[in-house]
Amino acid sequence: MTTRRGFLSGLLATGLAPQASWADLGAPALLSAARAADGSYLLAGLSADGALRFTCPLPGRGHAAAAHPQRPEAVAFARRPGRFADVIDCRSGAYLTRLEPPAGHHFYGHGVFTPDGRQLFTTENDYETGRGVIGVWSAKGAYHRTSSFASGGIGPHDMLLRRHNNSTELVVANGGIATHPDSGRAKLNLAEMRPNLSVLSLSGDLRDRMELGPDLQLNSIRHLALAKDGTIGFAMQWQGDIGADVPIVGLYSSGTSPRLMAEEDPRLRNLQGYGGSVAFTPDGSRVAVTSPRGGVVQVMNCASTAMLHEHHLQDVCGLAPAATGLAPAAPGLPPAATGLLASTGTGLIFALNGTQLAALNQQDLAWDNHLIPLG
Amino acid sequence: MKHLLFALAACASLITAPARADMVEEILGQQILPGMQALADSSHRLAQAAELICRPGASPLRRAYREAFDNWIRVSHLRFGPTETDNRAFALAFWPDSRGKTPKTLVRHMRAADPALLTPEGFAQSSIAGRGFYALEFMYFDPDFSAARPTEYRCALVAAMARDIATNAAAIHQDWRDSYAQQMRNGTGRYTDKTEVKQELYKALNTGLQLLADMRLGRPLGTFDRPRPKRAEAWRSGRSQHHILLSLQSLRPLALALADDNAPLRAHLEAVFDKAIARATALDDPRLSGVSNPAKRLRIEALQQEVNDLRALIESELGPSLGVLAGFNSLDGD
Repeated sequence: MTTRRGFLSGLLATGLAPQASWADLGAPALLSAARAADGSYLLAGLSADGALRFTCPLPGRGHAAAAHPQRPEAVAFARRPGRFADVIDCRSGAYLTRLEPPAGHHFYGHGVFTPDGRQLFTTENDYETGRGVIGVWSAKGAYHRTSSFASGGIGPHDMLLRRHNNSTELVVANGGIATHPDSGRAKLNLAEMRPNLSVLSLSGDLRDRMELGPDLQLNSIRHLALAKDGTIGFAMQWQGDIGADVPIVGLYSSGTSPRLMAEEDPRLRNLQGYGGSVAFTPDGSRVAVTSPRGGVVQVMNCASTAMLHEHHLQDVCGLAPAATGLAPAAPGLPPAATGLLASTGTGLIFALNGTQLAALNQQDLAWDNHLIPLG
Repeated sequence: MKHLLFALAACASLITAPARADMVEEILGQQILPGMQALADSSHRLAQAAELICRPGASPLRRAYREAFDNWIRVSHLRFGPTETDNRAFALAFWPDSRGKTPKTLVRHMRAADPALLTPEGFAQSSIAGRGFYALEFMYFDPDFSAARPTEYRCALVAAMARDIATNAAAIHQDWRDSYAQQMRNGTGRYTDKTEVKQELYKALNTGLQLLADMRLGRPLGTFDRPRPKRAEAWRSGRSQHHILLSLQSLRPLALALADDNAPLRAHLEAVFDKAIARATALDDPRLSGVSNPAKRLRIEALQQEVNDLRALIESELGPSLGVLAGFNSLDGD
């Protein structure tokens, strides 16, 4: 019997399907996992102004997702320690296939496609050795595992693809924290942890690695953003004493020293040592971080490192640049070159620009950790 | 039938129970506004005393400092709106100070002996770590600073610090009185409705309990193998235990007001707060130096556990009644 799933993926594989694209879904600008009011989980597509474009059911709580650059397909990663990632046809919500990491690995919740859509990379834990791994999958037709390589550290979490100096490379946040599924999310190596930011070629050659000083060894590098000029923004999560004054956001460009943001600003404390998501504004002039624990979004000036604004939003976590060309989100808001979108566990999508804040949309959903821009 | 009647009677008593005054009005009128006024008034008296008296041990000065600091601790959980404008609360209270920025800043000030720092504008622009009650504590209670020379500059610096506290406290009080209280009453301005106002107050209650458990108790407790008595809050002036009591005493009425007409919850909260207050009183350990003594440590840990139980009770019983559910993201962490 031909299942719908087999049928669809078969069509996609042979290229006989009519050219399906994200336009079929009203060209969503963002993806986010969520929990529905009835307790079920889903993946949703959002327009640039925060309206719901589609939802697809998920079998369990999601974390982040990766969107195929052409086909309206998303890979939804399960919450860490994830044993699977489901590939979903976002037009129908149909489950296309399930990716399972090799025995002894689990997913960390993030992944990324190459721009041509032929390959998918996933962050993984080889948990018996504690080695961070990048899984490589072919996404040309039927998904299959092709290879893997070292992530350059322990506990890789977020990962982005960067076009830089005419080549494409992976930027990996190696959080430094060893975990084992037998002990859930328990952190097994805090005393020795060494987080880093690694830049790898698509075949796994280490091109660059950034580590912070020994006083910040307990600051787990977890989430990433990219500015147009290739500058990497990273957000950290502090594993040391509560009440320590530590930076949570930094910027890094290869060949230069990392710059830590707003280090002298006492409001850094309002983040409670936890960066949930990080994003640049479309013009790259500002970088922002969310903290669901502190219920704040902080926006910093990339040139001066100074904190510019702080917005208080309950259970905020997802963060993305406002789409360029997006009209002012609300009357009185300036254009979006310096704008951001943020999502909350209370179902709200906000536009932020300078000191201004406008609720764009509310759903009876709890938006999960991340807002992932498409394209 | 008997059960049904009883149930009906119970419903009727809920309906006919005398309506309590509006929750937000009660918290504003009986807690926040008087609290902010007391902070402003006592800070003003502190500035006056510091202008006249330089000797750190002089009892009128000590009394003025004590009263103003007490009044700050009583409102230190109300970290929203007027306290956050221009980082006023941080300028009043830079604590904890994990990197020792406060003494470093004060050493720098004393070395430079810059007259420009002594003007209100000059001082207001100086590092936040060198301002407020905790910086003043170094100047009054730490021998390295209380006798630092040149004496004349030290006296003028301390007077400038006290004046800065008074200016900030007055600004906070004025914003509350002139506009912020009204926004909260009406659910306008920063708030879209009255529910958001209640959620803000609920968050303040949690902020206070979290600060108490994690910072005021947790930082000096450290770990059993490595207690950190020198991390106790304001230990130089022997105020560590006192701050724990003050914060419990000011969080109690806030929690009760937020429980509104839920009589069983109020009774429960009262009992738990009273137990914690009794335990905090019985510590008899002004600087919390007992964190390094296994027997005394146990009692401090027990108090911390009680505060954490209180947080759990408030989150499960009080939060939902105010429309606040456990954070989907804040509890996940990844």
